[in-house]
Amino acid sequence: MPVDMQQKALLFGAAVALRLGLFTLFPALPALLAGRVEVSTPVTSFKRLQEGVFLYTHNVSPYDGGVYHQAPLLLPLFSLLPNPSYAPLATNLLYTVVDLLSANALAQISESGFATVTRLFTSSRKDLRWSSVAIAAGHARPSTSFLFNPFTVATCIARSTSALTNLFILTAIAKASQGASITFILAMAFASYLAMHPILLFPPLLVLLYDARTAKTRSSPDVWSFIITYSLGITAAIGALLSASAFLTGSWDFLAATYGVRLLLPDLTPNVGLWWYFFIEMFDSFREFFLGVFWLHAASYMPGLTIRLHKQPLFVACTLTGIFAVFTPYPSIADAALYLSLVPLFRHLFPLMRYTFLASASVLYTSFLGPAFYHLWVYAGSGNANFFYAITLVWSLGLSIIVGDSMYAALRDELDVERPELRGKEVSRI
Amino acid sequence: MALLASLLALRRDARILKIPPYLSAFCILVGIAWLLVLPLNEYSRKTYVSENALLPGQVHTYFDGSEHNVFRAYRHEVHGLIDQPVKERSQRLEAIFREQNLKFATQKYNYTVSNRTIANENVYAILQGPRADATEAIVLIGAWKNMADEVNNSGVALVLTLARYFKRWSLWSKDIIFLVSGDSTSGPQAWVDAYHDGHDERFVESLKIKSGALQGAVAVDYPAGPWGHRYDKLHVVYDGVNGQLPNLDLFNTAVQIASGQLGIGCVIQRMWTHDDSYKERLQTMLRGMISQGLGHATGPHSSFIPYHVDAVTLVTVGDGWHDEMSLGKTVESLFRSLNNLLEHLHQSFFFYLLLQANRFVSIGTYLPSAMLIAVSFSIASIALWVKSGRPDEPVANPGSTQPGSKVTSKAASVDDNKTTEEKEDFNEKKHTKTPSTKVISDGKDIAIVPAALTTISERHLFFPLLFVLTTHFAGLIPLFLFNHWDEDELPGLYLTAANVTSIVPMGFAFIFYHTRPLKQQEVALIQCFSLLLLGMFLAALATLNFSLSFLVGVVTTPLAFVRRTNHMGLDLAQLAFLAVLNPLMVIQLGTKLLGGDLAEVLIKAAQGWHIWGLWTQVVVWLVWLPAWSVGSVVIASGVFY
Repeated sequence: MPVDMQQKALLFGAAVALRLGLFTLFPALPALLAGRVEVSTPVTSFKRLQEGVFLYTHNVSPYDGGVYHQAPLLLPLFSLLPNPSYAPLATNLLYTVVDLLSANALAQISESGFATVTRLFTSSRKDLRWSSVAIAAGHARPSTSFLFNPFTVATCIARSTSALTNLFILTAIAKASQGASITFILAMAFASYLAMHPILLFPPLLVLLYDARTAKTRSSPDVWSFIITYSLGITAAIGALLSASAFLTGSWDFLAATYGVRLLLPDLTPNVGLWWYFFIEMFDSFREFFLGVFWLHAASYMPGLTIRLHKQPLFVACTLTGIFAVFTPYPSIADAALYLSLVPLFRHLFPLMRYTFLASASVLYTSFLGPAFYHLWVYAGSGNANFFYAITLVWSLGLSIIVGDSMYAALRDELDVERPELRGKEVSRI
Repeated sequence: MALLASLLALRRDARILKIPPYLSAFCILVGIAWLLVLPLNEYSRKTYVSENALLPGQVHTYFDGSEHNVFRAYRHEVHGLIDQPVKERSQRLEAIFREQNLKFATQKYNYTVSNRTIANENVYAILQGPRADATEAIVLIGAWKNMADEVNNSGVALVLTLARYFKRWSLWSKDIIFLVSGDSTSGPQAWVDAYHDGHDERFVESLKIKSGALQGAVAVDYPAGPWGHRYDKLHVVYDGVNGQLPNLDLFNTAVQIASGQLGIGCVIQRMWTHDDSYKERLQTMLRGMISQGLGHATGPHSSFIPYHVDAVTLVTVGDGWHDEMSLGKTVESLFRSLNNLLEHLHQSFFFYLLLQANRFVSIGTYLPSAMLIAVSFSIASIALWVKSGRPDEPVANPGSTQPGSKVTSKAASVDDNKTTEEKEDFNEKKHTKTPSTKVISDGKDIAIVPAALTTISERHLFFPLLFVLTTHFAGLIPLFLFNHWDEDELPGLYLTAANVTSIVPMGFAFIFYHTRPLKQQEVALIQCFSLLLLGMFLAALATLNFSLSFLVGVVTTPLAFVRRTNHMGLDLAQLAFLAVLNPLMVIQLGTKLLGGDLAEVLIKAAQGWHIWGLWTQVVVWLVWLPAWSVGSVVIASGVFY
């Protein structure tokens, strides 16, 4: 498809121009965005990464300062690049390339067609879809796009390491939908290694990989041996990454400083999620209990969704990224950007969704009110933490409306296939 | 969910679609009426001091007697410096501070804005509080020139006298900084920027000595000459840059000390006489809102407020019997109160509208009015969204016997000579005089319903969204031009901009007409997005600068009601109405009504952008003008339809 390729080249070129343009025209912007709590969390912040790199290059354990909470393997990568305070170009190019690769993975996911047609399920609305280039570039829908999504651009400019996590998640999904086992395992391992919670995507993506392998080889592999093989594979890959990290830093201390921080939430810097405020307010004696409850809640979506919607594994994976954007301890707009860029894959569900306007309006409103209230709280001193927290609640509400509404649409779509006579009828919950 | 589903079923009701315009009109009316009832006793409150530590007026003031002679001497000294060059003036002021055994320093600043150079020097001295540990400080400011560009002769002399007087007291538990700034706006800004290391070293010199965190600042403006002048009242100025206000406790303390302890009447917002009537209260409030909405610096104190340093300026006004010593005592008592503070001022309100010196309205009472106005745009936008999902063909009563509605035949005849295939398609639909109907059966019940009611048409969002966003980003062009052009050319630029913006809607409509006629759905979506954005910006802005949000909201209300009618006369009338509401026209007219000079306003705005960090232009060029342009283009496209 030469026209498609041309379009793609044009859009990718425009995306590069936009990013490099922002980097060069507004040299103060990266530092500004890197300091915003909406973009940079304690576990993804570029400033903290620089601190880690500084300690690492001076032969001090990067976790000694108590500031750096990111994966150790990022350190050799970033210590290879010239210091971003003097020569930011290499870092900027790296992040631009990361975004392009993510967009490319997204286009591959779209081309695989697993959004509408899977092994066990064919949507009755499968003809309704956007071209892969449109989704990757993002002129598909307000606020749901990738390359030109303001949230993605902000993440890229802030050089938050969640851009890398997003890249690996998207690559894992893309490779699973192409049936490429080895690269899938590697991408999945990297995503889980960098951010821990993406490991929850493994079961639905395994189902997706199974479907893709079946379609590719035209014979279904044995389910149990398939599961065992790939589970062993991902364990081995993550084990290798962790061992390499331990070898690199000389001890296993990094586990407590990275995954420990994500699990136990010692750093209560505000973010767009729901955890920080609860744990600031909470008495210490309840802390462990509620940590358990919150994590259990966040993780419990995976089995339920995977079982109920096992016919549409790609949709489960997409919805889980939406759950991550709301219910993980340190979410940022990068997680929302990932989810919102995956949603347009399910173009065929849009006619069935009922609250799109409400959801997009609340996401839109909060993206302006959030910074305004944060300003009132922290800079003007005329507001307080409740202002910002109220807005993060609305933000999460907006995202969860999209999650819930798309889930309704997916179930309705399944129902239309299973029982065509009910098509177009009002449904009511029994 | 069940409730939501039945609510959702309601949207099939055609009557629902008729409500939103009335609802948004209602919101606007209530929003404005809300503001009008605020001055009544039932909705406003008397001011009170919340912070216990302040204890305003509880101390005896000793600034009297021989201090008067010292003051007179300094007044003559300062008078002698008026014609001196800046450098010698600074040296002499430094010498005075040195004689008083204070640590002192000078700071130079040199800004170039719109090719105009603003250069001067700030002199300041730090009194180290005998009981202080240099972690907190309060500031006393006497700007060399006041806002009216008069030399602040007695004000500066008072600062020098008070410096000498305060030095002898042992009770200060905070450092006191005495600042004689070069002028009333840029000087304090340069100083406070440098104090917090937020300055650009190319323009502003760093401070050589510093103290602790600033807890409050008081500026005195007393431009009486060497022979003195007895004044009548104190004008308390409190607006900060970008409409941010100081904590109400500081204002209350100043008013209570001046009027309660020393018997000096206090006025605000240039209301020299205030008979406490409804009209005067309303006038005071509106003046306050305009001043807050413009967000410009209103005195030396304004620059401090963005740094979360509460500050007021005391200006002497009128002819009366109060002398410089009573002003000195006011400042002394105010500083004794601030000296008592145990923590940063936080108890009282940061958002308020003052009706007179001792009456205010708090945010909970007034905010709904701006929010209602912002909401009216959101309602209009939701209605347009719903409307855009309906097919273009008209819905007629299937039971009626009248052939086709008037609109259908009219639109069809206008459309006749269009050639594009799409249009023909469109025409054919419209030529069928009776709208198609559809039989719906649900169990035993059977109903005949117009097909238009049950079909939902797909919305094509890309073009409308692109158009609205492009228009908003295009606002960066005037923002850049107005902040970077030479001051001589600013009025010309303004005139050009006014002309261009007036012609642009027709131009765009013409281009669209020839290249890509806007469909009814696109028009609805363009307006929908534009109003959604406007409502959102205004709601966010209302939390930061209530007055600006309210003023812009009121001037843009017609945008929620104008609709493309495809009737040339009606559209032209609407367009003419919108042309009057062109932001540039409104600003020009407003400047004239308020008795300002447009060129001066433009220069001040550019200064504000570069020096004070003023954000009002961003609202004008990136929110107001684009919203207006989108509305006008939509209406203008109807003229060519």
